[in-house]
Amino acid sequence: MADDTTEHVLYAERPEWSDVVPIPQYENIQPLAPIFYTPEYKDATDYFRGIVKTGEKSLRVLQLTETIIRLNPAHYSAWQYRYETLIVISAPLEPELVLTNALTKASPKTYQVWHHRQLLLTALRDPMPELAFNEEVLKADAKNYHTWSHRQWVLAHFDQAELWAGELPFVERLLNEDVRNNSAWHHRFFVSFENGSKGGTGEGADEAVRRELAFVKGKIALAPNNASAWNYLRGALNHTHLPYSTQAAFVELYVVDAVDADADRVLDLENPPPSQGAQLPCLAAIEFMADVHEARGKEGISEAVKLWRSLAHTHDTIRKRYWEFRIRDAVANTSVA
Amino acid sequence: MSSPSPGSTSVGTGVSDRMPLPALNKAGHVAHCVRCLDGLPASLVEMDASRMAIAFYCLSTLDVTSMAERQISPTDRKSWKEWIWDQYAEGGFHSGPFVSVSGSDTAHPSRGGAGVVASAATAPHLIMTYCALLALAVLRDDYALLNRAALKCMVGACQDADGGFETMPGAGDADLRMTYCAFVVCALLGDWSCIDLPRALSYIQRCRTYEGGYGQTPLGESLGGPTYCALAALHLVPADHACAPQARLQRAEWHATVRWLLHMQAEALAPVGGGGFAGRTNKLADACYGFWCGAALAILGAGDLLDAHALGAFLAQCQYKFGGISKAPGEHPDPYHTYLSIAAAAIISPDPAWGLQPLDPLINATPETARWAKEHVSAAPPEPKR
Ligand SMILES: [Zn+2]
Repeated sequence: MADDTTEHVLYAERPEWSDVVPIPQYENIQPLAPIFYTPEYKDATDYFRGIVKTGEKSLRVLQLTETIIRLNPAHYSAWQYRYETLIVISAPLEPELVLTNALTKASPKTYQVWHHRQLLLTALRDPMPELAFNEEVLKADAKNYHTWSHRQWVLAHFDQAELWAGELPFVERLLNEDVRNNSAWHHRFFVSFENGSKGGTGEGADEAVRRELAFVKGKIALAPNNASAWNYLRGALNHTHLPYSTQAAFVELYVVDAVDADADRVLDLENPPPSQGAQLPCLAAIEFMADVHEARGKEGISEAVKLWRSLAHTHDTIRKRYWEFRIRDAVANTSVA
Repeated sequence: MSSPSPGSTSVGTGVSDRMPLPALNKAGHVAHCVRCLDGLPASLVEMDASRMAIAFYCLSTLDVTSMAERQISPTDRKSWKEWIWDQYAEGGFHSGPFVSVSGSDTAHPSRGGAGVVASAATAPHLIMTYCALLALAVLRDDYALLNRAALKCMVGACQDADGGFETMPGAGDADLRMTYCAFVVCALLGDWSCIDLPRALSYIQRCRTYEGGYGQTPLGESLGGPTYCALAALHLVPADHACAPQARLQRAEWHATVRWLLHMQAEALAPVGGGGFAGRTNKLADACYGFWCGAALAILGAGDLLDAHALGAFLAQCQYKFGGISKAPGEHPDPYHTYLSIAAAAIISPDPAWGLQPLDPLINATPETARWAKEHVSAAPPEPKR
């Protein structure tokens, strides 16, 4: 972080840059949203324009673009020109990745820094350490969209069995920290049912869905009011074309008003009950059961309507109009059928 | 135009007995935007790469609040148009002059200085091109300087082999934001021949997730912004186009998407963000998702299913006391959240007293501005006078 800790010398004052003609930024008399740049930024970008004009691609361009990127990590042209320079001068890319690690941690929400990583990894073709680095970045922000997208890109792009192998334990670590982390749930779906299932796990689709249903139901039992887990359950069923009714016995346990305290029934591992102290009834369970009843057609409709009404008027009033729409829609469809 | 009916003004049962909404401080929000157009502090240097977007948000705020006429003097109008055209090069627009290397010596940087060595670093940017075309429409520009053939070329060159669109030709950074921008340009031109539409539609389809929304890229998690981009793009494809059947949701998809979008609205009594929309499952509400999710629902013809009053109350709370709107109550405002909150309010119309122009949810502009853009961007350039 040389530019942060030592005195910054303007490029205009560096003798080794005296051969470059800086180009000041051109603005008309009344520009839109002009930025009152710092002298350092103005100086560096003046020299950057000078370099771009002559097309110079050399070692010192790396220094200049690093200065700019540190001042403005969203400067997409500086990133682009930097990458072109790295390739043209055949610079070693390993040190560039080390530098990019620091820049990534400093600006994890900038598109450009992640894109630069992609370019480097594509060229370096050594994806294994990338997953560990990625997990490190997630420690600072476990829901950063860019970090997750990048991880999915690494897995899909390189598609190696060793990469896939650690993904389920990895997701489990994150869900143990925060069972409501939707990014982790999404990633689990991706690993279990989408690209991941074609990769290293080598298991059959039936095996995957059995494992995932057990997993998500266990997590729902732990924390029933968790939209991520319910969406995952729906997604898994839709993906494997299993009717929702296959889960009715489980979901029914969450529609009741309170946890059954004197439950002396045999513990059913397929259908884990809500944990003690869980907030019931669970909205997502009511919604799920309404869908189960709706799918039964004429016989189920009145039961479904009753559940939607309870959502509209008592449990989920913010979506009142939606639940009323579901009633109208279902009634119209069953009377036509 | 074939815009689906936004579920705009209807007021549902039970709304009348609720608390009236606070006033919308339109004058304050307009003042915030005018201040940003005048200049930004050095701390916002990252905006250098998206000044055209700031211009678009600020000018559109003036437009939707009906202040464009009053607030923009003829001199401003003229010089602002000039500034936008200064960013025009190789068929599209840059975010600003930060990479223009022709300097002030050439009269018009868009013509490019002599001896400039080609680099992707100086190519125009697809998102900024969308923002510039819309900003010019707010300013009622005639697009006489627009080279339609070059624009088509630029948009076509941004499409990659996967069907997605990149920010700049060859940048390799495709995501749904640029798909949306490319589709708007085609819709404005009234010409879809410059892109591979079937491939683009399959890219959008691959961004759908098991939750019912769309991710930013084909593997990504459902997120409000890309979901809007996907749905708006799909519905921009004209009904009489051969690809139109692939550009509409199947019934089951429609239901899943409407469900997911509506579940993004936080219950009114939530400890934080009640009534507002989140961008992802289990995330906190953020003012901008009132637009991304609200407009997406309007596009699907389901705009009247969200709780407009509760969303309006959340947006009202996000107003900063000195003008501007922030992502959440108590935060600092910015043009992005200011405009998108006002655009959301224009679509859902939580309170007629807020007095906003209606909004075309597909183009993201007032109907009048959208009409202007379509008429003038598509128009053949006048015969060159020699
Ligand atoms: Zn936001």
